[in-house]
Amino acid sequence: MVDVTQQTIPAISVTNLSHAFKGHQALSQVTFCVMPQTLHGFVGPNGAGKTTTLKAICTLLKPSWGEIQVFGSSVRADPISVRRRIGFMPDHFSMYRQMTVFEYLDFFAAAYGLQLKQRDQVIHDVLTLTDMDGRRNDLISGLSRGMQQRVSLARVLVHDPDLLLLDEPASGLDPRARIELMEILRELRRMGKTVFISSHILSELAELCDSVTIIDRGQVKFSGPMDVLLESPDELPTYNLRLAAVYDNVIARIRELPGVDDVREPEFTTGRDFNIHLASSLSANDFLKSLLTLDLPISSFSQQRRHLNQAFMDLTTRGVRT
Amino acid sequence: MISGTLMLFNWSLKMDSKSIYPHIIRAVFSFIMFFSISIAFMDAFGTSRTGLRFFETMCYLNVLLITVSGVSYFVTALTEEKDAGTFALLRLAGMTALSITLGKSTSRLVSSLMLLVIQLPFTFLAITLGGVLWQQIIASYIALAAWMVFVANLALFCSVRCATSGRAAGMAGAILGLMLVLPGLIVNGVAAFPAGFVPGVISETLNSIPPAFESISIFERLRVLLQTDRPVVFFGQQFWISMAIATALFAISTLTLDFWSAPVEAGGPSENPAIRRWSVGRSWPMAVMWKEFLFFTGGRSFFIAKMIGGGLLFAGFFVLQRSSIDNSFYTLHGDYAWGAFLTFAGFLALEVLLYSSGCLFYEIRQSTQSTLAAIPLTGVRILLEKAGGCLIALIPTMFWLGATVFSGYEGIARECSMTMVISFLIVLGFSSHIAVILSLYTRWAALPLTVLISAPAFFCLAAPILGLTAATNAVARSQHIEMTLLLSAFVNIFWTWLFILLPIQLWIRDRWNHISQF
Repeated sequence: MVDVTQQTIPAISVTNLSHAFKGHQALSQVTFCVMPQTLHGFVGPNGAGKTTTLKAICTLLKPSWGEIQVFGSSVRADPISVRRRIGFMPDHFSMYRQMTVFEYLDFFAAAYGLQLKQRDQVIHDVLTLTDMDGRRNDLISGLSRGMQQRVSLARVLVHDPDLLLLDEPASGLDPRARIELMEILRELRRMGKTVFISSHILSELAELCDSVTIIDRGQVKFSGPMDVLLESPDELPTYNLRLAAVYDNVIARIRELPGVDDVREPEFTTGRDFNIHLASSLSANDFLKSLLTLDLPISSFSQQRRHLNQAFMDLTTRGVRT
Repeated sequence: MISGTLMLFNWSLKMDSKSIYPHIIRAVFSFIMFFSISIAFMDAFGTSRTGLRFFETMCYLNVLLITVSGVSYFVTALTEEKDAGTFALLRLAGMTALSITLGKSTSRLVSSLMLLVIQLPFTFLAITLGGVLWQQIIASYIALAAWMVFVANLALFCSVRCATSGRAAGMAGAILGLMLVLPGLIVNGVAAFPAGFVPGVISETLNSIPPAFESISIFERLRVLLQTDRPVVFFGQQFWISMAIATALFAISTLTLDFWSAPVEAGGPSENPAIRRWSVGRSWPMAVMWKEFLFFTGGRSFFIAKMIGGGLLFAGFFVLQRSSIDNSFYTLHGDYAWGAFLTFAGFLALEVLLYSSGCLFYEIRQSTQSTLAAIPLTGVRILLEKAGGCLIALIPTMFWLGATVFSGYEGIARECSMTMVISFLIVLGFSSHIAVILSLYTRWAALPLTVLISAPAFFCLAAPILGLTAATNAVARSQHIEMTLLLSAFVNIFWTWLFILLPIQLWIRDRWNHISQF
């Protein structure tokens, strides 16, 4: 992973962004930052303001208040140069269906000012990356939804943008297409792109993203590294222990170890899994040393992390925004 | 089946009544009707049959509107579902072909027939003005209603037959245009050949076609009805034949719905890549212009077809001229020059209005406006490139219009002055701008609404244009400035742009930027 602390200019810097549609406050004092060469998740319930924020970042929407900078350039003051550095994929299928895949990419490559010679190479590269090279002469109207999504992704890559803004890229895709899309996004991060992805599929975001912003009812509820969000909210960490086999009296034996506050067996388990709470004075390393003295066949030992679903539910409010 | 049809019909009517735009259209329609009446009323002063003149104007305005609605509003009954990709959902809901054709087309027909009904209070004014009987008014409206039913079902057939709204509009326009010009072409074409050259059977068959077209012609029916010395028949031959053809077209549409609306085989290559490469080619540096020309206006193949079609039409006028007055190969004279000029000018106006009303709506229909707006070009540049793509597509018509002016200048100049040409160009410019802005607010009603607005606008604009021309000429002469005609043209175009077109252009830009956010 890239050390994000070494990057000084953020890929996206949103400061006090507010916007209202006909009296309805869509965004209120939204502030967050996305570092370059990271994969940043943007999560929120329906109507939270995700798409409005994305449209403001990609220069399509002039916000009522606040400042947005993309790689240091102001979206309001210099939208054209910002557009050259970003690739925006909207949440709905918006494609010229009567074009072939090649014509569609050729059109956008030309619109971004690429010369004819460059275009051939670029189109070949993006089609190879998205595994669509074999369908270059197919009409877009004849492609499946997953393939159209790949073509959309290829389209946002033709001008080699530094920042990709993807609004619900996996919506409507079958599991296989979704997994393949996530693989492509990982590959893009490896290539040094910054990916800002809005999605509802939390489990995949948790695996994929370096950092995350959670927005609810137009306000940012959390913005920061994924690890920080997924840490247990309890004051003392909880550890998960799994044994290779079932043993008698394990809970009592562990409780007798120094510094152990509590040991419990989670519900619906087979007697091999245990949740262990340690006293603040005891480190995980010291505990593990004493645990090994019990001569139990340990299969795994890890600090318990919240699932993104849980973090999401904790931070957002129930019900639809009115 | 009945519940499904009623549901679709109710849904369409509800959507129509809930949306603000159809009500605006009706209000504008009523206002323009009133305005047209005022114009016709003023025009008819001094004539003995003021009511008849006024009613005649209204009837022909209705014919124009119904015909334009056919190629813009009725034609999208099913293609709007195909365009949006929701047609399959209707079938999934268990609706039969009859339910779909009935439910989708009837609501439009009913709301359009309502537009005819709201005119009746105005039209009865014609009786008090004199020259027309109430029986003539009722019979004329029955004839107009029959024409509307015929046009609506012809459009429904095109909507079933074609995969996209654009193609359906083209097909409906071509059929209606052919219905207007074919009788004249056949009569003049047969007459152009020497006697005995065409075999008797063929000649008789060809000669029987124009009367057949005449029997459903709304123009012929109105001409007969508005002759006061003839007894009025409410339901004439035109009514019955129109209704019979409309029923047949409806039946064909219903029976062939499944066949023509089958989903496209997914995943296959587009066509022969070599042909595709020739017909589409690579994107130009002005990519939006390329896209507009290739994928909106029909591209190279359509360009060539228009060039050849225009050439044949141009040659046709020479053939007709040679058969009647002289053997000139290079010059068109008199009515032939004027007729050719009007034909190409009409095609130019039609093309301009079709492109104007469709070029931005094309993006909205495909939800591509935000994707297009995200490319690193200003909104104004995108709009200008779009206009450029449409202008390229107009080259064949403009070329043949120019050729007509070149070869028949004397005949044309006898019939119309330069001021009229300038007025035409200014009104065309105004109409195209109105069509663009309306297409950003309404769906397929932009074209008929433009025609509605442009008709009275022509009278409003023509007077200032004539006045400005006269004033410019007078000032130029007093200052001993030559080329007063060009000067007045420049002055007219400049002031029209500054005070009329520029505000609309700014409005278009702002509306486009607003729509691009969604």
